[in-house]
Amino acid sequence: MSDIMVQARDVRKSYAGVEVLKGVDLSVARGEVTCLIGPSGSGKSTLLRCINHLEKHDSGELRVDGDLVGYEARGHKLYERNDKQICAQRAQIGMVFQRFNLFQNLTVLENITIGQTKVKGVDVEAAKSKARELLARVGLEGKESNYPSQLSGGQQQRVAIARALAMDPKLMLFDEPTSALDPELVGEVLEVMKDLARSGMTMIVVTHEMNFAREVANTVYFLDSGVIEESGDPRLVLVNPSSARLQSFLSKVL
Amino acid sequence: MSTNGDEATKVVPVRHVGRWIGGAVAVLFIVMLVHTLFSKVPNGQRSCHTTNGVRSCHPVVNWRFSWNIVWHYFTSSEVLHGLLVTLELTALAMIIGILLGVILAIMRLSHSRLLSATAWSYTWFFRGTPVLVQLVFWFNIAALYPSITLGIPFTHVAFLHLNDNSIFTPFFSAVVALGLNEAAYFSEITRSGLIAVDEGQSEAATSLGMSRGQSLRYVVLPQAMRVILPTTGNEVISMLKTTSLASTAGVIELLGAVTNIYSVNYEIVPLLIVASIWYLIVTTVLSIGQFYLERHFAKGALRVPPPTPLQRLRLDAIAITARFRSAQLYRQGTHR
Repeated sequence: MSDIMVQARDVRKSYAGVEVLKGVDLSVARGEVTCLIGPSGSGKSTLLRCINHLEKHDSGELRVDGDLVGYEARGHKLYERNDKQICAQRAQIGMVFQRFNLFQNLTVLENITIGQTKVKGVDVEAAKSKARELLARVGLEGKESNYPSQLSGGQQQRVAIARALAMDPKLMLFDEPTSALDPELVGEVLEVMKDLARSGMTMIVVTHEMNFAREVANTVYFLDSGVIEESGDPRLVLVNPSSARLQSFLSKVL
Repeated sequence: MSTNGDEATKVVPVRHVGRWIGGAVAVLFIVMLVHTLFSKVPNGQRSCHTTNGVRSCHPVVNWRFSWNIVWHYFTSSEVLHGLLVTLELTALAMIIGILLGVILAIMRLSHSRLLSATAWSYTWFFRGTPVLVQLVFWFNIAALYPSITLGIPFTHVAFLHLNDNSIFTPFFSAVVALGLNEAAYFSEITRSGLIAVDEGQSEAATSLGMSRGQSLRYVVLPQAMRVILPTTGNEVISMLKTTSLASTAGVIELLGAVTNIYSVNYEIVPLLIVASIWYLIVTTVLSIGQFYLERHFAKGALRVPPPTPLQRLRLDAIAITARFRSAQLYRQGTHR
């Protein structure tokens, strides 16, 4: 077992001829929090979605916990993995979306148990008790039988985090988890994320919350137009940016 | 409005004069229509009696709509049997239509161009030709394909050999024709439902490691049902009446049954009324079922589910009593 959880080498991705990722290198150590920052359209979300194969990267090497994402290397050839193998890979990576994407037809408790029972084959009662534990952890005891539409945005996002955690992921991806929230609800979600970071979860967070990045992240990557402009310790990079682009970006968001 | 300082301000609702007049006119027309339905008219004959040596004659009057004949045939065994056949045809055709329609919709949204094009062509053909033509086609299928053989294609190996004339009875042909036709429409209804579900839902399911099938079954389809159901209710009701086309090919369903009766006794209108009343009764029952199904699948989509008709009546009663009581209190207040 290496200490590297996610390793990207020269990852490229185009949509209809437009190159969104132009050769990205990234390395995330086990147990670390990495923040991806940058202007919208810079490719942060695309990179994140490539890591759990929601998007297929065109070329380059992308490994999670040593395994190639979406491919299998045998001899000198790369074989595309079949759907079942890709599902198994995804089940080990939790993802939290900007717009929560809680299953609208299921209660809070069912949202958290369905992955465990249908994907991992966990027994229903065990799944429920785990779901209750996780709800307590994100501060939402007593909301088990509510439907997502009955919760505030902040509560929904916390349920979404619990839903992802229920799968016992080895890596958590957050795609702008607080961007769709009212300002006064951002704090409660960031609190849960900080708690998760303290517990030693490996996390990659696409965010515009510079304070969160500075406080919690071990490493920050600044993406612009599909390339990584600058990266390093947030206390250095965000305070004393060396590239002009990061300087101008920070002057706009801070 | 009261100028007393200690009294709460009253809200006086606007009087909608136009609505009242419109409502009164509508009620008048309804009363007139109902009156004509149940009026009696002279049938041109006179009946004469001699009582105590005095002979008196009266014109004979009959129900304009021959209700006596309607009631006579309403529960006759031919009509009830026809009704049963209609219900069977509707149910079987809808089952085929729904199952095949969902498969076609999923094919249509598949990443495989070949599957998608196949589904598109199916819909194109079955929506593009009249259902009556399709019915007649299936009735005559034996002339085109005298037998069905289950075996290995393009070889002489056969496992099962069936004679079409024995399978394609009028009833079976009608079920096949109506079911295949419905599938074309239902696939479009299902597709619209699937498209209406936010893409984020299937993305979230995928990110949990669910397969495409699991995501459809547990997440996307249940939410699509909310969009699909009202239209499905429409389709069932429409199918109920479309089954009457099968009477043209000798299936004795509801319309076929009353046709058989009036071709003997020439009481065309009363017997068509018999059929219409039965269609209305079944439609009403289906509409009630649709309401409760829609309520069930609205789970999670609405913060508060819509009230059932009984709950609505109770709420109305409470509202009216409250209004009445407040009016009473108001009057007491102003008279004091």
